[in-house]
Amino acid sequence: MSEILVDVKHLKKYFHISKNQILKAVDDISFTIEKGKTLGLVGESGCGKTTVGRTILRLYKPDGGKVIFKNQDIYALGKKGYRELTKQMQMIFQDPYASLNPRKTVGAIVGEGLDIHKLYQSKEERAKRIKELLALVGLNHEHSNRFPHEFSGGQRQRIGIARALSVNPEFIVCDEAISALDVSIQAQIINLLMKLQRELNLTYLFIAHDLSVVRYISDDVAVMYLGKIVEKSSSGELFKKPLHPYTKGLMAAVPLPDPINEKKRIHSILSGEVPSPINPPNGCRFYKRCQYRRDICLEKTPQLADTGNQHLVACHMVHAEQW
Amino acid sequence: MSERILNIENLKVSFDTYAGEVEAVRGVSFHVNKGETLAIVGESGCGKSITVQSIMKLVPMPPGRLKEGTIEYLSTDITAYSDKKMQHLRGKEMSMIFQDPMTSLNPTMRIGQQILEGVKKHTGLKKKEAEEQIIRLLTDVGIPNPDKNMLRYPHMFSGGMRQRVMIAIALACNPKILFADEPTTALDVTTQAQILELMNALKEKFGTSIVLITHDLGIVARMADRVAVMYAGKIVETGSAHDIFYTPKHPYTFGLLKSLPSMDLSKETKLEIIPGTPASLINPPKGCSFADRCKYAMNVCNRLEPPENEISQGHAGSCWLLDERAPKVDLIKGEIL
Ligand SMILES: Nc1ncnc2c1ncn2[C@@H]1O[C@H](COP(=O)(O)OP(=O)(O)OP(=O)(O)O)[C@@H](O)[C@H]1O
Ligand SMILES: Nc1ncnc2c1ncn2[C@@H]1O[C@H](COP(=O)(O)OP(=O)(O)OP(=O)(O)O)[C@@H](O)[C@H]1O
Ligand SMILES: [Mg+2]
Ligand SMILES: [Mg+2]
Repeated sequence: MSEILVDVKHLKKYFHISKNQILKAVDDISFTIEKGKTLGLVGESGCGKTTVGRTILRLYKPDGGKVIFKNQDIYALGKKGYRELTKQMQMIFQDPYASLNPRKTVGAIVGEGLDIHKLYQSKEERAKRIKELLALVGLNHEHSNRFPHEFSGGQRQRIGIARALSVNPEFIVCDEAISALDVSIQAQIINLLMKLQRELNLTYLFIAHDLSVVRYISDDVAVMYLGKIVEKSSSGELFKKPLHPYTKGLMAAVPLPDPINEKKRIHSILSGEVPSPINPPNGCRFYKRCQYRRDICLEKTPQLADTGNQHLVACHMVHAEQW
Repeated sequence: MSERILNIENLKVSFDTYAGEVEAVRGVSFHVNKGETLAIVGESGCGKSITVQSIMKLVPMPPGRLKEGTIEYLSTDITAYSDKKMQHLRGKEMSMIFQDPMTSLNPTMRIGQQILEGVKKHTGLKKKEAEEQIIRLLTDVGIPNPDKNMLRYPHMFSGGMRQRVMIAIALACNPKILFADEPTTALDVTTQAQILELMNALKEKFGTSIVLITHDLGIVARMADRVAVMYAGKIVETGSAHDIFYTPKHPYTFGLLKSLPSMDLSKETKLEIIPGTPASLINPPKGCSFADRCKYAMNVCNRLEPPENEISQGHAGSCWLLDERAPKVDLIKGEIL
């Protein structure tokens, strides 16, 4: 049996907007990631992907649930234990500019983790390590004395990646790590992430809105809608046989680089906007936009259940068909 | 023959900086026909936005400088138009949607008011009529309850809604040509699909021409009639969407298409990449600017700039491999034959 590295159990994160308004950004989510594997996390803007990533790393205090990382309950760790943990778990942030300190040079940003965790014996070793890290992400050594604003969006994103890699983590949350990059740089970074995974057995939670990239890089994929996981399976299975009406809508919306077929295809089978996660209704949260809805969907919240072959889906209609 | 709405010849735009002259756009020529969508693609920093902003005269000068070239709008040379003359064109004849809707909307002004300004300026409609027009526009772009929503401020809208408002502003005066610079990059796929559909609907309904900048080749496939591929300040290949996707002739275009993770690629296969980094735009290379990243580069490529070669009707590329004296290559196998 392979080893489970990250075990997320019934995770909840609520934001208290005002006295009687609760925004349930993450509402009872469970999944596991095996060591050396990648779980892709997809879903519409605002559905809670970033919040999942941040709460797992304890950058947000959870409102319920547990995260077990290498058999330790990370919310139960003391200060020292948590510091040790930040060496093993890292995040590449969605907004590269906002997450880099504008007053620090690139060298200082990448070296920060090395300092905190005392990962070098001498100054020379520190400098050498920074140089290696920059080279790894395709930046050159002269860049280390420059400041973040002197870089293009794609270069800044790579600085964030070098920073995350600096402490040799075992687990990385990649939050839209490549979305701002054009395709040729995107391909370079994807290859880098996959090479590191093969060589160092890294584990990723890969958040992205580009489904073809997610399909390619992930072993398993979870689809989120308004704070909940609505479908999860192996990447191959999910893209071949999406079951949840929302997942089908997502896939239909992806434009493919093939003009003849692309111009004929119908893309938006999903109409309407994502409803507000503030005080969400009971029952299925996708109800309003679903073309298959029935009364039961309003009455009972569908639970994530296996349809066979580890393909989990939360939809009354899909399960009804199975009977 | 279809009517040309825009014709650009040999456009050159530079920035004067402390480090030297940045040659952002280095001799770009293209045209846009009435009612068609032209997509401009190419690596980050290759000059796509500056090209389009120069046409609209939105590049601050200085530090920018229009070095050479002509811009013709409906057969009128507008290259030397003053800002005042341009104001009559902007909004009414040509308009633009920017990449980041939040920074281009005024956060302290109600949505309806922002659209109203544009409508009143260009149409001379009275307030009441203008308001009716705005409600129609907001309905057209799919904003529910427009009468209520026009009273709200930008931060009260989601990213997708803000982008719709931007489109409503851009369309307020029914322009003949719409420049859309990465209009959906910040949006998720479903919102993106809705915005693209909206743009296509407008094109059908009003015959609007669209110039679309994007790095998403799926969007290009979906939207574009013709495509211009830019590299280091120049157009290196241009043709119909079919030409570019199914028979690309420039090694850079080919590399771009190959670096996509297609829907059937397995995790074991590495993505193809274009090695190296883009050419510097300060003292750009003398010959072909792609030469030092090109696996087929010949001696001539480093010495002389490749001229534009016609490949077939409407399909042209600037690459020495297209010269009849060059060896034949198989781009798919990556071999010189
Ligand atoms: N600090 C916060 N305070 C209040 N609400 C928040 C906060 N952070 C996030 N939210 C809300 O929680 C929900 C989930 O946000 P999150 O950033 O996790 O979405 P996401 O799936 O990452 O979206 P995107 O694809 O746009 O990045 C959103 O409705 C958002 O407005
Ligand atoms: N104000 C400026 N001063 C100096 N150089 C500039 C200035 N504005 C733009 N440039 C340079 O001009 C070149 C073209 O920029 P442009 O914004 O057109 O690129 P782009 O193709 O739109 O890239 P992206 O895909 O990243 O938006 C870039 O290399 C950029 O660094
Ligand atoms: Mg996010
Ligand atoms: Mg641009």
